[in-house]
Amino acid sequence: MNRTFSKITLAAVMACMAAGSAFPAVAAEAEDGVFRTAVLYDISTMDVAKTTDNYLVPMNIFDRLFETRVVDGSAEVVNSLCTEYSVSEDGLTYDFTLKDGIVFSNGSALTASDVKYTFERLLIAASENTDIPLEVVGGEALMKKEAEELAGFSVTDDTHFSITLSAPNAGFLAELSAPAMSIVDAETMAEADGFGSEPSDTIGSGPYVVTEWVANDHFTLEYNDKYWGEEPSVKKVIVYVVPDASTQNLMFQNGELDMIDLQNLDSAIVESSYKTTWPDQIITNPKVGLTYLTFNENNEYLKDERVRKAVGMALDVDMMIESIYSGNALREHGIIPTGIWAHNDEMEGIAYDPDGARALLAEAGYSEGEVAFELSMDSAADSNTQLLYQIISQLLDAVGIKAGIRSYDHSAWLDLRISGEMDSFVARWGMDYNDPANIMYTFFGSPENTKQRSLNYPDTETMARVSAARAIVDDAEREAEYQALEQKLIGEDVVWVPLFEELHLYCIGDRVESFTPHWAGFSDFYASDVVLK
Amino acid sequence: MKYNILQRLLQAAAVLLGVALLIFVMLRIVPGNPIATMMGEHADAATIERMTAELGLDQPIPAQFCRYIADAFRGDFGTSYSLGKPVSQLMKAAFGNTLKLAVLAALFAWILGIGCGIIAAVRKNGVFDHLFMGVSLLGVSMPVFMVAMILQYVFAYHLHWLPISGTDSIKGFILPAVALGWNSAGSVSRLVRSTLLDILQEAYIDTARAKGRRQWGVLGIHALRNALLPVVTMMALQISSLLSGAVITETIFSINGIGRLAVQAISGRDIPLLQGTALFSTAVVILGNFLADCLYSVLDPRIRKEA
Repeated sequence: MNRTFSKITLAAVMACMAAGSAFPAVAAEAEDGVFRTAVLYDISTMDVAKTTDNYLVPMNIFDRLFETRVVDGSAEVVNSLCTEYSVSEDGLTYDFTLKDGIVFSNGSALTASDVKYTFERLLIAASENTDIPLEVVGGEALMKKEAEELAGFSVTDDTHFSITLSAPNAGFLAELSAPAMSIVDAETMAEADGFGSEPSDTIGSGPYVVTEWVANDHFTLEYNDKYWGEEPSVKKVIVYVVPDASTQNLMFQNGELDMIDLQNLDSAIVESSYKTTWPDQIITNPKVGLTYLTFNENNEYLKDERVRKAVGMALDVDMMIESIYSGNALREHGIIPTGIWAHNDEMEGIAYDPDGARALLAEAGYSEGEVAFELSMDSAADSNTQLLYQIISQLLDAVGIKAGIRSYDHSAWLDLRISGEMDSFVARWGMDYNDPANIMYTFFGSPENTKQRSLNYPDTETMARVSAARAIVDDAEREAEYQALEQKLIGEDVVWVPLFEELHLYCIGDRVESFTPHWAGFSDFYASDVVLK
Repeated sequence: MKYNILQRLLQAAAVLLGVALLIFVMLRIVPGNPIATMMGEHADAATIERMTAELGLDQPIPAQFCRYIADAFRGDFGTSYSLGKPVSQLMKAAFGNTLKLAVLAALFAWILGIGCGIIAAVRKNGVFDHLFMGVSLLGVSMPVFMVAMILQYVFAYHLHWLPISGTDSIKGFILPAVALGWNSAGSVSRLVRSTLLDILQEAYIDTARAKGRRQWGVLGIHALRNALLPVVTMMALQISSLLSGAVITETIFSINGIGRLAVQAISGRDIPLLQGTALFSTAVVILGNFLADCLYSVLDPRIRKEA
């Protein structure tokens, strides 16, 4: 019996060894022109009307009238499908000219009618991105089905059209560069009902076509040979859905990925492994946006601006950046984050001063431990954000403010926040386009906007100024107004505590010559900006 | 027997309907707006309200439930909020992977577990008994994620024998099946050993030996058949559990399976997907228990007679 068993065991081991030789490392099978990367979560759609964040596929398979790209170190709005444009003196009407001869990947011509259809579809197709087309005259009527077409959109011929806005908006061109404004093919949309979910029905004019999407497994993009622009170095992109970060780490180290998004990994691994093994292959880009701590001004304590300021003074933000993010973040003092054109480098923030915080609380008439509010945390928050909550709670405790953390299921957290009843929370706002209105107007443009984020900012006069600032046509005047508003909102009213802007780190593999991240540090990237060796 | 099967099938249908109702109601009364979750940070209140109406979530719960059941009878479980595809299509694709993983893991667990259990019982207190029981103790006590990561590191990253993740070929299922089956193998081997040791003390085993049957004959024909009864129960529960999805294994090895879909549905408050995966898991557990009962009848004539 023992001898027989030993023979079986030996045979099994031999078989395993023989089988092993038949499975070479996957990296050796990689083909030229293929760029492989991984994401933690699958996309939900390829249709920009149905998402506000799944932009990896749309950014690569569609074009927009304009794009935001980094030019000489700063993010600029550059022409894409549009060759030229002019704006009327009142800032309301824009005339556009499209490039000649542009076709979608199925061969049909891209015309001004497709652009009009794109705008109208965003208003009528149960869309999540209605903000921009709603600015056009007749947008509201079309969305409410009181009109059959967008009155403010006029098509002159195949390459010329004009758009009339309800109110001037100096950031309109920047808005048109947002992924949400990807131009779709009206002809295809009329015939195919799988747009956004079926690769064969999801047609664009961008440098790539989507050829495969296996839910929760991977999706593949391939070069669109009808693309009007320069042929990219990457001919095929494979994006694997790998929900486990340590598996992504092993895949990169094993040569199975050409780029890894280091924000998916534990910062200790990044510091100890990536920064020492591949220091020259790490690409860093600011995640243009702001992490902030909010105050609900309906709260009995937080309605007092001295309490809000004391909270700000109690927080040692530099320590947070060092201890949680290993220094990979930029300290922010205002609302408009670094990388956005009206950002104010001179903005004076709230300095760390725990003694001053205690004195301010005493001046406001509060004794030690009297001020108490809830820090509401989304249970789906990443580990760094959870740590941030803990540090904030402890720092506040040190000055006598009781800010207990309560964790909510993601859905319940969002519900509470939208209801306007959340006391305080930490969140990050990522910029969709390079214009200060993207953050200023969204948060402080109207009472509804401030309520939806549980800020309940009461100053309607300032909100009216924020809303009106969108219409200022002169760039210098607009910048000055936004900076004055920022000073009012942070310097005087302390509407929130600005914390920092994270830096986004990526690591490229040996097969990649260069990788240019998205200007705003999205995890999504333009594959045409990747150059393979 | 036929009456018994019919009765069980009717019970199963009633349980499924009850579970569907329970899940449906619970998902609608717990705090949190699924549409706000689906649309994320950038959505405004007006858009959320509009989308809620578009998806019929503003209708009364009984009306929504009736529509859901009517659609489900036609095989339409709705469209996933988080993945944007029909739930039936997603579950079909995921079940294919889960089935492969579960079958491989079960085969690994049962062949190894039963084999080691028999050898350990026959060689009681011998080297193999101590070795196998030691290893099986490791099997039942070691968390799946740890086994998975060790296997991944040794066989995929270090030796390059198998892929780190993915299901492009059957090779991709080997490491996850071993990781998943490792724990079950430990439980099965310990149960087989203890049951077999009890049965080997029975008088009818002595009778068989007295009749001159060889040891493997006694073991295979008389002892093992009786020893397998409790093991079958365990195996039925194991296969039900494996088919309901193995979240950790599927996540570590990036397998698009039922378990991962269910977790995705829960975290994203994806109501259609959550209802679909929950109903599916219920059906699998019911089916597993039903098959175990049928197997009992085959293995034990007394149960057949009672039925």
